[in-house]
Amino acid sequence: MKKEQAAPVPFPGFGRLQRPEVGADRASAGANRHLTDLIAGKLLFFAALVAIAAVIFIIVFLLRDGYQIVLETGAWNFLAGQNWNPAGQNPAYGVLPLIVGTLLVTALAMAIAVPLSIGSAVFVAEIAAARTKAAIKPAIELLAGIPSVVYGFFGLILLTDWIRIAFDQPSGSSWLAGSILLAVMAIPTITSVAEDAISSVPREFREGSLALGATHWQTIKNVVVPRALPGISAAIILGMGRAIGETMAVLMVTGNAAVIPDPITDVFSPVRTLTGTLGIEMGEVAFGSTHYHALFGVAVVLLFITLAINSASRIVISRIQGPQGTARPTAHRALVAAASRIAHAVSAPFGGVVSPRTSQRCAFFLISLSVVIVLAALGMILFGIVVNGAGAISWEFLTGSPRDLGRAGGIFPAIVGTFYLVGGGLAIALPLGIATAVYLIEYTAETPLTRSIRAAVDLLNGTPSIVFGLFGFAFLVIFLNFGISLIAGQITLGLMILPTIIRTTEESLRSIPGSLREGSYALGATKWQTISRVVLPPALPGILTGAILSIGRAAGETAPIMFTAAIFSSRYLPSSLTEPVMALPYHLFVLTTSIPGASTQSYGTAFVLLLLVLAIYLAAILVRRRYNREKVM
Amino acid sequence: MAGKSLSNMAAVAVAGTLVALLMIAGCLGSEGDSVTSPSQQITVTGSTTVLPIAERAKEAFEANDASAAIMVSGGGSSVGIKAVGEGTADIGMASRDLKPEEAASYPGIVRHEIARDAILLVVNPENSVDRLTPGQVRGIYNGTYTNWNQVGGPDQPIVVVGRDSASGTREFFSEFIMDKEDFIRTQEEFNSNGGIQQKVSRTPGAIGYVGLGYTEGVKALALDVDGTAVEPTLQNITDGTYPINRPLFMLTDGEPGGLARQYLEFIMSAEGQEIVASLDYIPVQG
Amino acid sequence: MDESTILETRDLNLWYGQNHALIDISIRIPKNRVTALIGPSGCGKSTLLRCFNRMNDLIDSSRITGEILFNGNGIHDSLADVYAIREKIGMVFQKPNPFQKSIYENVAYGPRIHGVREKKALDRIVEESLKSAALWDEVKDRLHEPALALSGGQQQRLCIARSLAVEPEVILMDEPCSALDPIATAKIEDLIIRLARNYTVVIVTHNMQQAARASDYTGFMYMGKLVEFDMTTKIFEDPGEELTENYITGRFG
Repeated sequence: MKKEQAAPVPFPGFGRLQRPEVGADRASAGANRHLTDLIAGKLLFFAALVAIAAVIFIIVFLLRDGYQIVLETGAWNFLAGQNWNPAGQNPAYGVLPLIVGTLLVTALAMAIAVPLSIGSAVFVAEIAAARTKAAIKPAIELLAGIPSVVYGFFGLILLTDWIRIAFDQPSGSSWLAGSILLAVMAIPTITSVAEDAISSVPREFREGSLALGATHWQTIKNVVVPRALPGISAAIILGMGRAIGETMAVLMVTGNAAVIPDPITDVFSPVRTLTGTLGIEMGEVAFGSTHYHALFGVAVVLLFITLAINSASRIVISRIQGPQGTARPTAHRALVAAASRIAHAVSAPFGGVVSPRTSQRCAFFLISLSVVIVLAALGMILFGIVVNGAGAISWEFLTGSPRDLGRAGGIFPAIVGTFYLVGGGLAIALPLGIATAVYLIEYTAETPLTRSIRAAVDLLNGTPSIVFGLFGFAFLVIFLNFGISLIAGQITLGLMILPTIIRTTEESLRSIPGSLREGSYALGATKWQTISRVVLPPALPGILTGAILSIGRAAGETAPIMFTAAIFSSRYLPSSLTEPVMALPYHLFVLTTSIPGASTQSYGTAFVLLLLVLAIYLAAILVRRRYNREKVM
Repeated sequence: MAGKSLSNMAAVAVAGTLVALLMIAGCLGSEGDSVTSPSQQITVTGSTTVLPIAERAKEAFEANDASAAIMVSGGGSSVGIKAVGEGTADIGMASRDLKPEEAASYPGIVRHEIARDAILLVVNPENSVDRLTPGQVRGIYNGTYTNWNQVGGPDQPIVVVGRDSASGTREFFSEFIMDKEDFIRTQEEFNSNGGIQQKVSRTPGAIGYVGLGYTEGVKALALDVDGTAVEPTLQNITDGTYPINRPLFMLTDGEPGGLARQYLEFIMSAEGQEIVASLDYIPVQG
Repeated sequence: MDESTILETRDLNLWYGQNHALIDISIRIPKNRVTALIGPSGCGKSTLLRCFNRMNDLIDSSRITGEILFNGNGIHDSLADVYAIREKIGMVFQKPNPFQKSIYENVAYGPRIHGVREKKALDRIVEESLKSAALWDEVKDRLHEPALALSGGQQQRLCIARSLAVEPEVILMDEPCSALDPIATAKIEDLIIRLARNYTVVIVTHNMQQAARASDYTGFMYMGKLVEFDMTTKIFEDPGEELTENYITGRFG
């Protein structure tokens, strides 16, 4: 095994590099090669230019219209105004309650999700037997792919009622409901990324601690978790980004009253988030009005929150990782200290008095409990949807068109429409995204320009999907006059997944060692030959995984299409790009929130959407697993 | 090793094919297949309040004329006005009249009042209250009354539920009931009639306002006008005794022609107005 | 062999899944001596070493038969406390693996987890352990700097200090010098010889000069079997088995 690893890696497909050209006409073949190289370079540059222009255009477009509200009401009134009442006799456009609502919902969601997720991650990475781990790990990854509208559907049906009755409140639509739902949605993401971080702590650190007679729990607490802290922080930040950006699920359960809870700790108060405001008010607002500009202002605020999170995460992670071997800055010490303090707090009741063994038993009990809670919550949702949804599935449901406002008939046009939307989005984003990533990695040096491009891509990568919806609606649907149409939805989804594809492609290109490229150049290959035959093939599985995950995300998203492409009902499949289409997530959203007496159809639609998205994620997991196995060989 | 890398290749190939198929599907969206493609088609877009009428009328119309294709989509009144003004849709739907800036931008828009919609106050069926004066309703919605026992009901906090601030229904309700006063800020907001109906039907202390068609699982309140309780019956609404009602419009850019005209004529016909009535809107003809 | 025995295996067999990694090993490790285990790659010497403090427990597919006695008690007995055993039998690994903590905290880690809380006691243990590991003079002025800032040889001595801090009776060393340069290696070898006054050292090594220089006893393993075990001088000057002789003289390996 070891010997195989050490052996020089042969280039796939390199044998054919020059064979045809040998003898006859080396000079002209050389010229051809150079021409190809030149053209490929120019094409890549052009594609990168288009993608980067699009990224920058979106940001500028939002800023331009968002700036209007500052002109109209003044920055202070807009940002610090306590009253959001655009339709009142004296319209007020203060976003403070929305910002506070967003932060509160996210903070409580994180307070719920982080301990449960890290507990689950520790369980899967450290405690679970190999067989359990093999079952739980992919299951949790799959759960990260459940579309948010499915969670929202569930929250609306069960969670708000449960809160109302269990806590004896007049209404269950509340901050708490939003936070619980967001926590459940963020847990799979955080768990999965944190588990990777914990698993990748080298074995020798565990053994070093265990060899001193430390218990398993002492080792986890004092050695493994501190070592995995950068990855765990990244996981938390990722989960937080997902929570802040979530629109549909929150919109369905928080009650959407634009108030700051009074007192501020009243978790049963209804709240309204920034994303929820966009989701609710976008479709009905009159164009060019102050209200319209205020909504752009909300989008810009979201953009800045994303920027703040991105910057914070970059600082935190770079501080923690630090250059190997130099003194760690205080930020890291503080974090480690905080982490160990939390760990101590967990074991404090037992720590000082009780033996390490007992404290280990208690800690493992709590950790196992967190896994049980997570699995129970997610299992309940899945079980509810599968049991109720499977009953709704029939041949007519899958192949028919909806009748009676979706209470009868089928969802075939929605299934097909979803495929059209996702396929079109991918056709736009995949070539552009891969070309851009190749150009950025292979053709440019690290300069301030590429760094700012990367920052812009990162910014859009974390931007809430509803902001893309707003952009698509304002620019494509209204300004370019595409109307609510397939093409507008495809472009919006394409733009939404473009940053993800650029990032994942960049990552997998970067993981190809430079020695491989040098080996190719040393044989006289051109740049394009090196990229196309040596660099891209091994990077392909990584790129594909990114693409498939993007498909899953695009297929499950409601926010970007609800104002750009989706219609509630259509007998025909769209016959041109300018027609609107049905789509599964939007269909589920409308059925759930607007059509009384359609719960069977809702469950059925949720079930089909779930199956579709999970199948896509499963494909991604399988591709990656193959790839990993290959790497291990 | 060879077997492994082969199956790895297969996995990549399968995934690649999946991606490629999806991309082709996306492109084919533009081609369509001409066999099922109808000869004439129009798009109808706008208010979600009018949507059910357009949808049902479409089903009935297409049943008579298989060659016609009518695409109905929601989005809201503003979308409908904008779309028909810009010519991206043939017919717009609106549950409110044009705003001055909209009328100025699109002077060519012609309004067709196709139905009227009553707005009903609804409470949970468990609630013992069954009539309120307009003043009491205003008191509830502006926050003067916070408990049902202040308006003759049980001792229970009132959960105020309303439409979102961009909604035409809310605008109408605000003008009619609220008399320039702002809503209580803890009002829970939903962006559809159905959302309010679901919320009220599940929440004992809730009050909301919805269109006439959304009364399943909730109790509609009578309006106490000068001491007489006016039930929101079809009769009372049609003759104007029940006061909270408003027009619903379909909009065209100039006078309609072709399929759009046939479709509008169908809605205004006896059969079309029957559909209107069957959906619990108020017919405007016959 | 009239020395007193601290560690002993009887008919020890170990499997990793289907792979029979140790076959019928019976060996007695003398107390307060340095014992070297040599043999070609994959012969099972590291596996045997990891049996002594039950580190193989961590590998799911491993299965074991036979007996391992520490001071006469079976370490797999149902009453045996695996953590206490590891406290008494320390281990130093092939690659230096200091924790991502300061030098001081690395050494204090062991005493802390075993319940030492007093600052003074910890200070004393840290100083003594670092002195015993011949590292004190080099680091005494920067105890609170990160351990990863040390050189490879210093890191390995830190790891030795770390295991000394819990006052073990035995120190297992798994090729402790394989990642180090010759000067650092020489320092560690000196240290091993000095440690044998107070501790029992078992060292796995690829380097036959190292075994010859530093150990009192040597075991030669091949294909999962213990071929020969005797005084180091005897093994290197007059091996009893032809296989041993072939290996030592470099005819294979």
